Parts: sequence; structure tokens; C-alpha cells
Amino acid sequence: MLEVIDIHKSFGDFKAVTGANLKVGAGEIVAVIGPNGAGKTTLFNLITGQLKPDRGNVRFKGEDITRLPPYRICRKGIARSFQITNIFPRLTVFRNVQVAVLSQQRKSTVLFRPAQLFAVEETRAILKTVGLLGRAGDVAGSLSHGDRKTLELAVTLGNRPELIVLDEPTAGMSPEETGATIALIRQLAADRGLTILFCEHDMKMVFTVARSIMVMHQGQTLIQDAPAAVRENLKVQQAYLGSSRHA
Amino acid sequence: MDAGHTISLAAVGSHLLVGLSRAMILFIVSAGLSFVLGVLRVPNLAHGSLYMLGAFAAHSIAALAGGGALGFWLSLILAPAAVALVSLAAERALFCRLYEREHLMLLLFTFALMLILGDLVKALWGADYRSLMPPDFLKDSVQVFQSPIPRYNIFLLLAGPLVAVGLWLFTTRTRIGKIARAAAVDREMVGAVGINVSWVFAFAFVLGCVLAGLGGALMAPAVSITLGMDHDIIMEAFLIVTIGGLGNLWGALVGALIFGITQSFGVLFWPQFAIVFPYAAVVIVLTLRPRGLLKSVW
Amino acid sequence: MLKNLIQPRALAAAAVVGLALLALPLAVPRFYVYMFSLIFVNALLAMSLNFVVGHGGLYQFHHGVFYGIGAYTVTLMLTKTALPAWVGFAAAPLAAALAGLLIGVFCVRLSKLYFGMLQISLGSLIWAVAFRWYSLTGGDDGIHDIPIPQFLSAPRPVYYFILVMLGLSLAVLYLILKSPFGSTLRAIRDNPERCEALGIHVRRHQLIAIGIATFFAGVAGVMFVVVESSVFPGLLFWVLSLEIFIMCLLGGWFTFAGPMLGAAIIVSLKTFVGVYTEYWTTIMGIILILLIFFLPEGVMGFLLEKFSDRSDRG
Repeated sequence: MLEVIDIHKSFGDFKAVTGANLKVGAGEIVAVIGPNGAGKTTLFNLITGQLKPDRGNVRFKGEDITRLPPYRICRKGIARSFQITNIFPRLTVFRNVQVAVLSQQRKSTVLFRPAQLFAVEETRAILKTVGLLGRAGDVAGSLSHGDRKTLELAVTLGNRPELIVLDEPTAGMSPEETGATIALIRQLAADRGLTILFCEHDMKMVFTVARSIMVMHQGQTLIQDAPAAVRENLKVQQAYLGSSRHA
Repeated sequence: MDAGHTISLAAVGSHLLVGLSRAMILFIVSAGLSFVLGVLRVPNLAHGSLYMLGAFAAHSIAALAGGGALGFWLSLILAPAAVALVSLAAERALFCRLYEREHLMLLLFTFALMLILGDLVKALWGADYRSLMPPDFLKDSVQVFQSPIPRYNIFLLLAGPLVAVGLWLFTTRTRIGKIARAAAVDREMVGAVGINVSWVFAFAFVLGCVLAGLGGALMAPAVSITLGMDHDIIMEAFLIVTIGGLGNLWGALVGALIFGITQSFGVLFWPQFAIVFPYAAVVIVLTLRPRGLLKSVW
Repeated sequence: MLKNLIQPRALAAAAVVGLALLALPLAVPRFYVYMFSLIFVNALLAMSLNFVVGHGGLYQFHHGVFYGIGAYTVTLMLTKTALPAWVGFAAAPLAAALAGLLIGVFCVRLSKLYFGMLQISLGSLIWAVAFRWYSLTGGDDGIHDIPIPQFLSAPRPVYYFILVMLGLSLAVLYLILKSPFGSTLRAIRDNPERCEALGIHVRRHQLIAIGIATFFAGVAGVMFVVVESSVFPGLLFWVLSLEIFIMCLLGGWFTFAGPMLGAAIIVSLKTFVGVYTEYWTTIMGIILILLIFFLPEGVMGFLLEKFSDRSDRG
């Protein structure tokens, strides 16, 4: 479904991504792992258009989406969440998700009819799925860190994506929240047939959830394979598990 | 354009010189604005008022010293010093408490300062026009391109590059100058190195304001000193800094040259719309390069 | 549908204020009728600015230009053409919106401060032209004794005309803010990058918002001409633009009605304090500093925070 082919990106002298490759099949859950600074977030930004690559291609459902602006990529069916929580703090929880649904329904330029008449059912359904329906009327800025992360996921779902790209969806969450989020991601993949690409530091989560794991090191793809095969791979142990043990 | 109005080469040459000398003043003032913008990321709207304050102060100082060369040199030193005091007081008393706040608040504070300083000048000096004679050795004109150029304009032509070089040396060769430049690029880093960022900002703010005051003092013998001169200069300095690239010292120089020369040639070619020429030049530059000609510091 | 749009309490408050304003000219001297007309003009101007600043998060630094374009357009139509007055009244807001979109196309490519600086530059060009083009605009003198329609020759009819224009404009602005577009605009204000990742064409939305805001600035320009029968380049000057900014800040820019309150405070202060001292701008500067330090959310924002459990930010 998604294919990243030998992509490169540098910022001035700093080479952030130097030849990353990735394949995500329809309905798969794929994880990207690697030490801090391996270029995971940069890779995601290249996929969803926040950054433009120096070289290489991104293909989605057979179509070249390299260098499209983010809003066009989103409309193709890719939605994402961000590592640093990225919600609309002054809007209510309901509005946060509704804005995404309105965008997906191409209703965001309707000028003279009240917003209450649009996308209400869809928004409520999403909030119910993630368990935030009870907080629908609260201002998003007042939520706890874990709830904000969940809201971010809900906003991402508002786009009715086929592929969602999650940048560290459980970072900073308590163990219970992490568990709930893992369950939620699995449920989404199963119920909605969503394809999920994520990166994460929590190895337990990665190896329980992902069907395929891509390992990045210093901006390069080392390997992409099934979890068991990745675990076996010596190269990975040196590059990643080894270095993180000493860190 | 008037029919039959021919423009001689000499007229072009003399307008070029006058335009260049005007550009030097614009550069000095804009460099100050740009410096503050680069380090503090705030367009200081009070900058023009400090320029006006500098001009009025220069007039009074020169008058107190009995005119002459001594009064002139004293005014060039003491008027910027007075501006430094005023700006330091405003910065330490109020402005420095806003650094953590939203950007717009800083901008609005400088607007408030502009409103108050304008009235302060009115209260101290009144609403009358004033003019200041240049000292004897800078009076009268010399013949350049077969047309008379005021000596004072020649003096300004020399003063501008002097200030430019001084500023450049200062920001590249002295410790505090380097720190201020570093703060413009990465303020967290400067804080992390253990430098008191607040004082760096205070210093940058005052230095920028002093340049406004110096510009005013230098300009005092060449124009009529009047209320309202702040509004014109601040807008011009703004545009110069924008087309030059925010916070870029050399950008301010390039911008000032464009502005001064188009203005001067505007007077030559189409006097009624002379004021429009520099603005049109700005629009052309910004249409082609919306972030200015030279690289902005941030 | 009305219940969906507005809380009963807010509706009641609006109705009370509206009725009081309708009755006002019957109870107060002529001068106050004039002053209130002026307040309404500035109120709409501030509301239109706040639409892009408070709700859209754009650094619209030179909003006054569009107000001036509206005023000059209607003036030129009334003085230089034989077209019926209403054509001029209708053309002015459209001209302002067109100018807004034209300048906006260049500005929305840039972010925050650059947006504001570029707008000031482009706006200043328009000011410079109006300031010097004596044969068309009257230059720095402006144009006076504009022949406005006969039925608008006395303060009271003017007052009611302005009040109705303000009321209609507010209704439209309110409706837009409550629409899907309004929600999206506020989302863009809070986080443009996130919106872009949600499939929202941020620049297009910002342009639409600028078009709407400058349209109503043009309406305010028409209202100004109706009240004062004159125009002058000061309407296009950047100092005026910053004054409007202060009205929004003073009233409370995250609220709907705040900017109107700000405009009312500034205009009445100017009127009353201006009589006693020529140092009116110092007072304005001091008010501004006090605001920055003590009431950053503005008077209305402060009141809403204090007297209601939920503000109307959402």
C-alpha cells in the first residue's frame, strides 16, 4: 500500500535520512524502530509531506505522492499523529475531532450554516471508540497528557484514513494508558481494516503489536522483516539493542 | 512628467549623491531596528520616536553649547546617550518583564512606548518647527558634477560607512556583540551557556535605540526638526528592514540604498509621486523575494 | 436552528443592548447620537479585524487600508460618477475585499511576522498613492462635503442607518464564526501545521477569512463616509491600523463581542479625554501598557472568565 524508496533528506550539513526504504502492505501493522536521532520522525514527515525529500520516492497505492503538500497527501487517505502532541488547545474535544471530520467531508468552507448541523454523528462515534465521549464538551487544553494523546489519535481517525501514521503514540503514557492504547490500535486495525505505521521506543509494545518491523540506524534502513526475524538479526543487536543497553 | 523637462546628467549625478547621503541615515536607523528585530524578534515601533528624540535633543544640546563645531560634536555624542538612557529605563522597568510573553504583546508595548514618547517630545519641546545649522566647516556646498552638493551631505556619506564598519566590527569582534548575534540565532543555547539572556536583550535593545538616536542627531542639521518625523522614519525603516531580510545588517544597507536612491530619483523624474517610488520598489522586491533580498537571521 | 446558534443568555443580552441602542437617540442630545454612530463604525472595523486576528490567528497589521479603500471607493463613486448612491455603497466593500484578496495572496505565503510586515509594506504603497494623487483623492487634504443621499442628512437617520448596517454585519459575522468554516478557522489559528495534516488547505481558508474581514472593513469605510461626509489619507495610515488592533486587544480578542466593547471604550475616551488634554496619546499608551500587564485577555475576556463558568471560546 505504502512504499518508500531510497529516500534522502539533509538539513544543511546534517544528514537526517540517508537511504530509507519501507514497505507497508494493506491491513498491516508496521513499526519503525531505531535509536534516538535515527531519523524516524524525519522519515514520517517525508511520508506525510511536512518535509520534502532531497532524493527518493514515496508511493501510496501505486501513485507517486512525493513532494505533494500535506493536505493533498491527507486527502489521498493518509492521516498522522505527531510525537509532540498536536491538538487544538482552545477548542473543545468535540470540535477537535469535528474539524477533522469536516475536512474529510469537504465541508470546512461552508460559511452560513451552523457547525452543529454537520458531522455530529461521525464525531460522536469516534469519540465513543476512543473513550472520550464523556469529555466532549471540555476544552482540549485542559485534558491530561494521556487523554491528549488519545484525542490526537481520535483527530487522526476523523479523516477516515486508510493508512494512519503514528509517531510514538504512547510516549509519556502511564503503563495502564499504554495498555489501553495498544488495545485500541489493535481493535482499530481489526474493526476498520486500517493499515497502521508507527514508531515507538517501547520494545514490548513494538514486538507484540507489529506484524513487520523496520529498523533504522543513522538515517538508513538496516532491515525490514517479521518481528522474529528482526530479533534474530545480529546486525540489529549491535546497532540498536547493544547501543541502547549501554546508553 | 512635464513635457520639455529635460534631465541633465549633472542633475542625475547630484540626485544620486543626495540619495546616497539620505540612504546613509536610513541605514543607520534601520540597522538599529534590524538589530533589535534580530535579537529580540520584535519590530520596535518606538524606534522612530527615539530618532525624533535624538533630533530634538541634538538641537537643544547644540544650542546650549552655543552652536559651532563643539556643539555639533557634543550633540552627536550626548543626544544618542540621552536616547540610551530613556530606552534603558523603559527596557528595565517594563519591557524586560514581557520576554516570556506572546510576541504580539512585545510589539504592542513598543507601540505604547511610541505613543508616550511622541507626547513626551511634544511636552518638552512644543509643536513648533526647529532647524539646526550645520557647523561652519560643514556649511555651504561644493561643486560635484557641475552642481552644488551641500557639504553636510558629503559628511553624511562618510558617516554611514563608518557606522557600518563600526557595527560590523562590534558584532563580530567583541564578546558581547558575538553573544548578541548568537542569541539571535539560538537563544536557548545562550541561556544554557550561562549567560544572562535578559541582559543580552537589554543591551541589544539599547544599542538599537542608540542607533536611532544617532540617526536623529545626524539628521538634525539637514532637515527641519518637527513632530511627526517619527511616523515617516519608522515606516521607512520598517520597509528597509523587510526588503533587506529581517535582522540582517547588510540587508539594512542594501535596503537603505534602494530606498534612498529611488526616493531621490523619484524627486528628479516625477516630483509629485516621489514618495511612491520607494514604496513601489519595496513592493517589487517583496513580490519577487517575499523574505527579503538577503538571508534573514531567523 | 436559532437554539443551535446562540445561548439564551447571550441572546437576551444582545436583545437588551439592541433595544437600548434603538431607543437611545430619543433620549440623548445630538452630540451623543453622533458619537455613538462613530462608535458603531469603529466597532464594525474592530470586529472585522478580529475575525482574522482573534479567530484566524493572522498578523493582519494593516487592516486600516481596507477601511480606507472602502471609504475612498464610495466617495469617488459619489463625487466622480453619476451612478446611484447604492451602487457606490455596494461597490466599496467589494473593492475592499478585492484589495484584501490581492494583498492576501502575497501575504499568506508567509508566516506571522513576515505576513504582517509584507502587509504593512503593500498597504503603505496604497497610502502613499492616495496621499499624493491630488487630482483623484485630494491628496493629504482628502475630500470633504461628500454628497451623501438626502435621506442621510440628519444625525438621527444616520444613526439608525449605521446601526442597521452594524446589526446586519454582526449577524453575518456571527453566523460565519459558528459555521464549519468558523470552527476550521479557529483550528488553523491554534495549529496550522496540524490542520494541513488533516487535509485542510490552510492558505485557501486564510484567504477566504481575509476576504470576509476586508469586506466588512469596507462596509465600515462606507459607514464612516455616511457619518463624516469626508475622507482623508489618515484612514489608510498604519497608525490607525494599530489603533484598531488595540480595540480588539482591549475588548478581548478571543471573544465575539469584545472588540466592539474595545471600540466603544477607545472612541469615548478619545472624545471625552481629548477635550481636557492634548496629550491624549499618552493616555492611550498608558492604557495599553496596563492592558498588556494586567488584562491580556481584554475586558470582555476578563468579565467572561469571572462571571461565567464557560467562556464562549469554543
